[in-house]
Amino acid sequence: MDEAYRIGGARWWIPEPGVSSWWPHPCHRLGVDTRARVIGRRLVVALVVVVQLALVARGYWSAHKEFAFQMFPESSTWQAEIVRVTSDGARVSVTRPWDGYQWAELVVGRGLGRPEVRHHADAGLDNQLAFLDAALDYVADNTPRDDETRYLEARVTTWHNTDPPEVTVLRSDDRPEAT
Amino acid sequence: MTAVVAPPRPASPIAAVDALLGRRVSMRSLALLRVLVGPVTLLHLRPFVADALGGRIYRDAFYEPYAAWYPDLPRPLYGAVLAVGIVAAVAMSLGFCTRLATGTTLGVVAYNLFLSTTHLHSNRAYLLIVLAALAVAPCGRELSVDAWLRRRRGRPPLDLRAPAWPLWLLRFEAAVVYGASGLSKLVDPDWFGGTVTWHRIVQVRDRLDASPLPAWAVSLLADRSFHTYAAKLIVLTELFIAVGLWWRATRYAAVWVAVCFHVAIEVSASVQVFSYLAIAALVIWAVPSTRDRLVVIDPGNPRHRRLASSIGALDWLARFRVLEGPPGTPVTLTDRNGALSTGPAAVARVLSRLPLTAWFALPTLVLPGARPRHRSGVAGGGQR
Repeated sequence: MDEAYRIGGARWWIPEPGVSSWWPHPCHRLGVDTRARVIGRRLVVALVVVVQLALVARGYWSAHKEFAFQMFPESSTWQAEIVRVTSDGARVSVTRPWDGYQWAELVVGRGLGRPEVRHHADAGLDNQLAFLDAALDYVADNTPRDDETRYLEARVTTWHNTDPPEVTVLRSDDRPEAT
Repeated sequence: MTAVVAPPRPASPIAAVDALLGRRVSMRSLALLRVLVGPVTLLHLRPFVADALGGRIYRDAFYEPYAAWYPDLPRPLYGAVLAVGIVAAVAMSLGFCTRLATGTTLGVVAYNLFLSTTHLHSNRAYLLIVLAALAVAPCGRELSVDAWLRRRRGRPPLDLRAPAWPLWLLRFEAAVVYGASGLSKLVDPDWFGGTVTWHRIVQVRDRLDASPLPAWAVSLLADRSFHTYAAKLIVLTELFIAVGLWWRATRYAAVWVAVCFHVAIEVSASVQVFSYLAIAALVIWAVPSTRDRLVVIDPGNPRHRRLASSIGALDWLARFRVLEGPPGTPVTLTDRNGALSTGPAAVARVLSRLPLTAWFALPTLVLPGARPRHRSGVAGGGQR
């Protein structure tokens, strides 16, 4: 090998063809890892791979698709009429404030603040309906000044992509506060 | 005489896996990713901090805990945790008390995300994965205040190589992000057939009409038949990135396409920190070895000196050594496999390997005359 450069008194060799710094020199491959460490490393990697693949698979049937990385899954849209059903059977829209509560202040994010407006279900309809269902329960559980609402009900119209609309009815848990 | 160091042949598949996971490789790409992910984390925490400063936190409105036992902190303490997260993210990026800072950043981001199902989005899940990989990898030994302090104290530098398994795992996760997204669209007839993208455009047509896009572009985007092909292109792009990143022959093309893909997403959709994070994470696909490419310049040539300065400033992945050759030497690049490039081809190849200029320079490598030649006909390889 005759191609070398001299800098500051030191000789620098250009890399040899076929020689890679990728594989360490044999003397660097000494058995410094304990068996426990090797097995532990193997198990951690296997666990992460298996769990990740399981989460990807779970995304195909679960409403919440954590770590499934299904991005922009649908062009579906939804719209909901949400009412409070009172103890005397009246159905009052949540667009009207009640007992100092407002739906848009109780439920923000995920497009749930204005359910009467048609929204894109950006993580899919299943996901959107699951959030709306949970939001009904949240409002039912977190409005202690309201002593007349028995439950909340959402009549949800969904459009799966370009399919015709479907109607789903969601209901919160019954409220013990209602007299 | 050519010396060839061949990898040892493992005794069994399990031994091969162990060798792969335990192989000591450069942590430079993870160190660079650590620097880049700090600002991404700050961007991620910003809305939570803004709400907290405004007197509102997650439990002032609808939230849904993952588990009943998951601890809700008192309001001031929750604010303090977010503040710790910000400090930790800055320290992580700077590389100050790196292990502690990265672990703390991961802890704060994870705690906050798992407070409510409404907090978790795909981009935040990816951020969590990246932070976890950084937390388990010794990525603070370079590009860090820690390393600088160590040098100042006259202590010997720490080994910049470490077992590769966090890097391999992060590569797997990065590929899963693209692969899972592409696969879910591939198996959905509405997506692969173009219905979803076309319908989405129809829904936002009024915004498109008001945008600076020319009328013919809006008309094309709203054309149903255009989406029959465009949707397939999108799906295949995601799958190509997921698969192409793994092979040396397709890796640079996959990186280039991935940057285009993320820029297109960023300008057309609201994806929180996804684009920044995903583009930053592309650095993990650099071969994890450093200073194994040699650039020889003529120090008397001002253009060569500018190239050397550029390499000094932009070689964030530490791929090059720059040497001064004899007067009149053309810019010469010797790649890690011994392949030689000279003149403009060498300059283009150098720029294509610098993170900031790679996207612009990579297309020039397909031009005639851009291919390097091998000094003795030995094609290097084996790098992953």
